Amino acid sequence: MNGNVIELRGLQKSYPPREPGGARTELFRALDLEVGRGEFVAVEGQSGTGKSSLLHILGGLDREYAGEVKILGRDLRGLDDPELSALRHAQIGFVFQSFNLLSSLSALENVLLPDFFGDGVPDAHARASEALATVGLSDKASARPTALSGGERQRVAIARALVAKPPLLLADEPTGNLDARTGQGIIDLFQRLHREGMTLLVVTHEKRMSRAASRVLVLERGELAADPTLEGSA
Amino acid sequence: MRPARLWRLARGNLARELGALLVSAGGVALGIGCLVFFLAMGRGVRKVVGDVFPVSTREVEVVVPQVGIGSFLGEMKLDEALVARLRALPGVAAAYPRLALRIPAVTRYNGLFFGRELHMGLELVGSGVPADLVAGDARMPFADEGEGKPIPIVLNRRFLEIYNKVFAPQRGLPTLTDTMLVGFQFPVELGRSYVAGKTLPQAYETALVLVGFSDRAPLAGISLPLEAVRRINARFGQDTGSYTSVLLRAQDSQKVSSVAAAVKKMGLELDESERNRALQIGAAVELVTVALSLLATLITALAAVNIAQAFYAEVRERTREIGVMRAVGATRGDVASLLLVEAAATGIAGGLLGVLLAFTGGWAVDALARTALPDFPFKPQSFFVFRGVHVLLGIGVAILAALSGAFFPARAAARLDPARALTAE
Repeated sequence: MNGNVIELRGLQKSYPPREPGGARTELFRALDLEVGRGEFVAVEGQSGTGKSSLLHILGGLDREYAGEVKILGRDLRGLDDPELSALRHAQIGFVFQSFNLLSSLSALENVLLPDFFGDGVPDAHARASEALATVGLSDKASARPTALSGGERQRVAIARALVAKPPLLLADEPTGNLDARTGQGIIDLFQRLHREGMTLLVVTHEKRMSRAASRVLVLERGELAADPTLEGSA
Repeated sequence: MRPARLWRLARGNLARELGALLVSAGGVALGIGCLVFFLAMGRGVRKVVGDVFPVSTREVEVVVPQVGIGSFLGEMKLDEALVARLRALPGVAAAYPRLALRIPAVTRYNGLFFGRELHMGLELVGSGVPADLVAGDARMPFADEGEGKPIPIVLNRRFLEIYNKVFAPQRGLPTLTDTMLVGFQFPVELGRSYVAGKTLPQAYETALVLVGFSDRAPLAGISLPLEAVRRINARFGQDTGSYTSVLLRAQDSQKVSSVAAAVKKMGLELDESERNRALQIGAAVELVTVALSLLATLITALAAVNIAQAFYAEVRERTREIGVMRAVGATRGDVASLLLVEAAATGIAGGLLGVLLAFTGGWAVDALARTALPDFPFKPQSFFVFRGVHVLLGIGVAILAALSGAFFPARAAARLDPARALTAE
């Protein structure tokens, strides 16, 4: 295995025609991408260009593609469901735009969610408390998601993504539903994680997020290219 | 996923979906309640039938054919030689010959009967039985002590029940127990009949003493020691060389059919009137129980369909949540297991509730029967016999129904495309 956390070779994805006889919708033509260990990559793009689909493919959640996808040196195509689940459990943290917290669980229990699956998380409670402290929500451990603000919910979701200490964090518009001030808090947190050596790939519309990244890519017409207007600040 | 963690996660979901799950569990409870109720009632009614028509699964009554080839070739007699042959049949453990009292007999009682004046004349029918047949039930010696001594008799247990529930209340007589009656002595006139209005020349008076109650004694009549009947029949010049019937006890219930076949091969018949009646009533009770149990099973099946609908709805509502679980490491098996554990918990709750419903229903019916139904012979304290197996069966069927209902929704949940689940509205 080389130093790349993410490797895409000729990634293609298309959707079947919406009407009989129509043409397939091509999402990715032949994407190539390498993301090295410790990089903070922001992916920009218009709505519908496939940013979220890219994240789902990278996370092994979507297997309907052609080409080669390697995460931490493992070709996702060769993994069965339990192996993919184990990879997601231990190596990949997900953060979603709409938080996706389980309403029946408290903040701490949401953070502990990965502990329910696979082999669990070592020292899960200590790590969950630590993750909540990292996102500044130690005092909200027992609160239900409905009692939290949008920013707090997103921070709980980030704590959940961090609890298993994965080397890779995939985030889909993490500041999309937050106000500017709360969004900045998330950006600062991501920068801190980046400094601590975590690899981050963030899909975003937020220019401030892109500026915080070490590399910015634009997904357009099925291809990935470096953003000519931005240079990563980190 | 480890069971403890699976249960913790399921518990949270159960608490959240409590309302819908209670409805599902309620449906299961209704079906299981009916199932356990009917099974316990069937067993209870069978017990009553068993009390009214006690039938040994190991015994058959052998009689000579009324009309048969034997009649033309020479009358067949149940004599000692034939009894010995019957006793020697493979599978036969014991043979108990019975000899009818072949003369009329009456009893006339005038005097105090447990504190009440009683004036009664009764025609008696009697038969002699070997002492070892009823010895276990007799509380006093059951042996003929010869002329001039009271003759011990044994009555059928059902006789006392009929006396207490029908005869005594109608005549203002006291209710009696077997303990009170054991040792009761009353006069008998042998060789006399009120019905026929005749008295045999050798007629004489003696006394009978009740020594016990037994299920093996015939309902219609009194059972006397075999030697006493033989002595009385001889005194009146009646046949003493042949028996009326022979009760054969097989070594075990499995051998009854082969013993019965061997008896018929000897040209003898089986008196199965009471046995058949008991079997027919038992079969009818069984049939009704099965029909009602099937109805209860149908209700449970409908509850399973309701559970399927509830879980499909739950899967639809929780699609995104399932996507999140898949994203943090849940396998398809984990997702399916989670729903099946929730279904099993619903089934257990429904099963326990159903068993409770059945017990409550049984208690209510018994309470109603005690107050609303008149007292009748063999009226049981309870029409229900609840067994541990009923509880286990009820809960087992409830879990099975819940799991069956949740199986396809769980499979659908496990097959959800995680990427699509995460973007579901």
